[in-house]
Amino acid sequence: MPPKASQPAPSRSELLQGTLDMLVLRTLLFGPAHGHQIAKHIKQTSEEVLQVEHGSLYPALHRMERKGWITARWETAKDRNREFKFYRLTPAGKKQLAHEESRWKQTIQAMARIMWPAWEQKP
Amino acid sequence: MNAWARLRLNLDALLHRRKREDDFARELASDLALEAEEQEARGLSPEEASYAARCAFGNTALVSMDVRDAWGFVRIEGLGRDFRYAARSLRKSPGFATVAILTLALGIGANTAIFSVINALILQPLPFSDPQSLVRIYSTQNGEFITGYGNPGGPSLVDVKDFADASHTIQQAVAYDTWRKNVSYADSPSGPQEMGVALVPPEYFEVLRIQPILGRVFTTAETLAGDHVALISASVWKTHFGETPDVLSHTIRINEESFAIIGVVPEMIPLWMEPRRIDAWTPEAFLDSRQENARGSRGFATLARLRPGVSPDQAQTELSGIAARLAAAHPIDAGVGVAVWRLADSRAGSMRPMLALLAGSVSLILLIACSNLANLLLARNSARQRELAVRAALGSGRRGLVSQLLAETLLLSVVAGALGLAVSRTGVAALTRITGAQMPQLASLEIDWRVLLFTFVVSVSASLIFGLAPALTGTQINLVDALKEGGRTGSAGRHCQRTRNLLVVAEIAMSLMLLVTAGLLLKSINRMQGQYLGIRQDHLLKGHMYIPPVQYKGPDAVTRFCDDYGRSVRAIPGVVDATISAIFPPRDGWTQMFEIPGRPIASLQDVPSARFGVSDSHFVKTFGIPLLRGRDFNDSDTPTSRRVVLVNQALVRRYFSGEDPVGREIFIGPPPSSNIPTDDNVTDAVTATIVGVMGDFQNAGLGLPPDPQILVLYSQNPLVNVAFKDVIVRTATEPHSLVPALLDRLHQLDPEIPLAEVATIDEVVEQQTGSQRFTTILLGLFALAGVTLAVIGIYGVISYLVALRTQELAVRLALGASRNNIMWLVLRQGLSLALVGCVIGLAGAFATRQLLASVLFQISPLDPATYVAGTLVLLVIALAATAIPATRAVRVDLLHSLRQE
Repeated sequence: MPPKASQPAPSRSELLQGTLDMLVLRTLLFGPAHGHQIAKHIKQTSEEVLQVEHGSLYPALHRMERKGWITARWETAKDRNREFKFYRLTPAGKKQLAHEESRWKQTIQAMARIMWPAWEQKP
Repeated sequence: MNAWARLRLNLDALLHRRKREDDFARELASDLALEAEEQEARGLSPEEASYAARCAFGNTALVSMDVRDAWGFVRIEGLGRDFRYAARSLRKSPGFATVAILTLALGIGANTAIFSVINALILQPLPFSDPQSLVRIYSTQNGEFITGYGNPGGPSLVDVKDFADASHTIQQAVAYDTWRKNVSYADSPSGPQEMGVALVPPEYFEVLRIQPILGRVFTTAETLAGDHVALISASVWKTHFGETPDVLSHTIRINEESFAIIGVVPEMIPLWMEPRRIDAWTPEAFLDSRQENARGSRGFATLARLRPGVSPDQAQTELSGIAARLAAAHPIDAGVGVAVWRLADSRAGSMRPMLALLAGSVSLILLIACSNLANLLLARNSARQRELAVRAALGSGRRGLVSQLLAETLLLSVVAGALGLAVSRTGVAALTRITGAQMPQLASLEIDWRVLLFTFVVSVSASLIFGLAPALTGTQINLVDALKEGGRTGSAGRHCQRTRNLLVVAEIAMSLMLLVTAGLLLKSINRMQGQYLGIRQDHLLKGHMYIPPVQYKGPDAVTRFCDDYGRSVRAIPGVVDATISAIFPPRDGWTQMFEIPGRPIASLQDVPSARFGVSDSHFVKTFGIPLLRGRDFNDSDTPTSRRVVLVNQALVRRYFSGEDPVGREIFIGPPPSSNIPTDDNVTDAVTATIVGVMGDFQNAGLGLPPDPQILVLYSQNPLVNVAFKDVIVRTATEPHSLVPALLDRLHQLDPEIPLAEVATIDEVVEQQTGSQRFTTILLGLFALAGVTLAVIGIYGVISYLVALRTQELAVRLALGASRNNIMWLVLRQGLSLALVGCVIGLAGAFATRQLLASVLFQISPLDPATYVAGTLVLLVIALAATAIPATRAVRVDLLHSLRQE
């Protein structure tokens, strides 16, 4: 029996989950994309530092669709003569992105102040 | 996301599950294909590429499960699975399931039954339109209800008119009366029957907003003229007129007079609302009672409709003010106040404190049942440690385990709820049969949506509240310990055991409270029923007659009829003695002012008054009332001889203390010096000589100390020789066997007069203790149920402890402990639980003394004998319940249990 989703998730994935949503939303800001494209984009843009597991990506996409941040539609890709499920950002998703971005900024600044105390005092 | 949106999403998830899953499978496939194509473009062979793609995507089954979870499928699927699993696991342990369900069903059933009583007495709306604005107005004297004939009575008509004129809260008020009259129909061959007839002004129908289903109501002109018109009830219309519309051309005979039927009233007057069932309404303007000299003539039933938006409290405040003004203006109203009650509140009436008691008791029963359930669950869960541990090891989360266990409890409680509903239905039906005649409020006892909702809420919340703790402790699993071979199954620990002990202590405490309460009530009702009425209560039969004035014109005719009937009844074989009287113990609703010549009266409040009765000369002998001084009435007391009166001991104590009253004269009626106008219902206002003193008999009602009493002869007092008379017979044989003979003698004199309300005095007393008996029976049953549950609880805990300690006990035995030692070891455990429970229970019973005091009769709510007896009974039962596992512990097979280690 596979571990159930209702099991309390480890705190590590909590953080990742939060950022994953933001990264996906940010990627979709460029325009509609399907799952594979999103994963590839994050991987390439982050210079292979951030690897998005498919196991996390798809649940995240569907969760966000359920929350109404993104919508999905089957469309034919330009480069391939096949239909893919394209996700696009909704206004609610844009708002969510802005919200998560500012929160993320706060977190980075707070961490920076702790990690490199002198950093801010520099002229 | 608000709750509605979430619900819609969940519904959407449920409805479109298949579509979503297909959609995701397609998405995964297309992306997987793309990944493979890209890998192939990098130069891998097609097989290698597809393999690499699958590697990159990871466990697709897991991914799709997570996706399904994202859509909320898993939770819904999980719920269904939990219930299926719960049903299967309960089926596998039928013993546990049966005990748990029966226990809960008992608790829920008792609560449902009492709730349906509360529903019938308080919650169900009245059958009238806008019932919340209907009130009863009662009259009070020095803060206490004045009693009319049977029920609390209303103000005098003069006062009611003044209230209505001055009030801004009352829209309309009406005073009316219900009488017993001899009614016959054209078609009835059996002659007249005594029936309830309401004498009402036309406003009666306006206040109650009753529309006749046929015909019309009275006009004011008809009422003032005293026309002989009548409305009949729908049931009379059905039984006697076959529901034909031409009933309006028929007449009924009331007291030998013809009344034209002008309408049919729907069957909507509840039985509890009036002292008797009403089958006909005749117009009555009460012209005499509207005269100023009738201001003191109270006791009419009074109904009022409040103005829209006015609460009974506001009306009460306003009317109290008006009553105070009236009291200041009219001496006869001094000390007289009003009480405004919602009509709906008068339904529960004197049952209210009983209801509180019953509701409290059933809550205890439910708590006990739930404690037992919790105990059973704790035991079951700790016995299932290994199963739960295996499930946890296989990846089931704590939440999953808890929800699984809760599903089991929920399932149990839903089944128990359904069973409890059935139990309560049978119970309630039985109770209505036992007490229904005496408690018309319970005629409408039914399982309606309120009762169903209540049962559902109680069942579910009981299971959630009491199932959660066992589920939480049961799932605190130390995997390693639980799975280790030979790990003790009961190692859920001390904490768990303490909880179980606490639950048993609570159960015992609560059942002792129930036991004590039931014991007190039982004693109380025994005292009430067994109290000395001041008469020889056995073998007394009474019947009511109405001697119609149309036929018997004048008091002489009534006297002749009564004397003739009394004589012929006394001649019946098996009759020891018989009296014709207007009153009989234990209640005489007639009060009368009197004056002792030579004693000036300072104020109206000081006017002596006594209960008043008229009878023939056989009253004292028939009832077996001791004659303490002087003589009884006898044949020498004739209409023309000196007027004589008998008084009771209470009157002598209050008004003739230290003097011999025999031979003294009293003036019966409002003292001339007090300027109180006499009204029609009073008396001849004459001077009479006290010839004898009777022992006290109950005349103020059951359970109340006897008031002063005056008894006169109807033959000497023509003005109070009323048409209402009772025949009371002392019999040598079974009283009811004489009913045919009584009827026969009556109809020999006048075939048109019915004999009504035939009952023995024993039955009258029983009827008046109906609501107490109802409560006592119920509480007795509850106490029994509570004790049974507590015994099951203590038995369960001790058996479980013994099972856990088998090895330890065997070691003790092996080391030389005697069987007695072992026995005592186990007994001590049960006994200490029981003792602690008893102490707490006694404290609990002590705490509820105030509630109890209001329903107990002549017994202290702290009656030590009851407390001691209850405690002893419970201790003995607890000891017996412990003794069974204790004997089992002693018989332990040494070798076998030691080898188990």
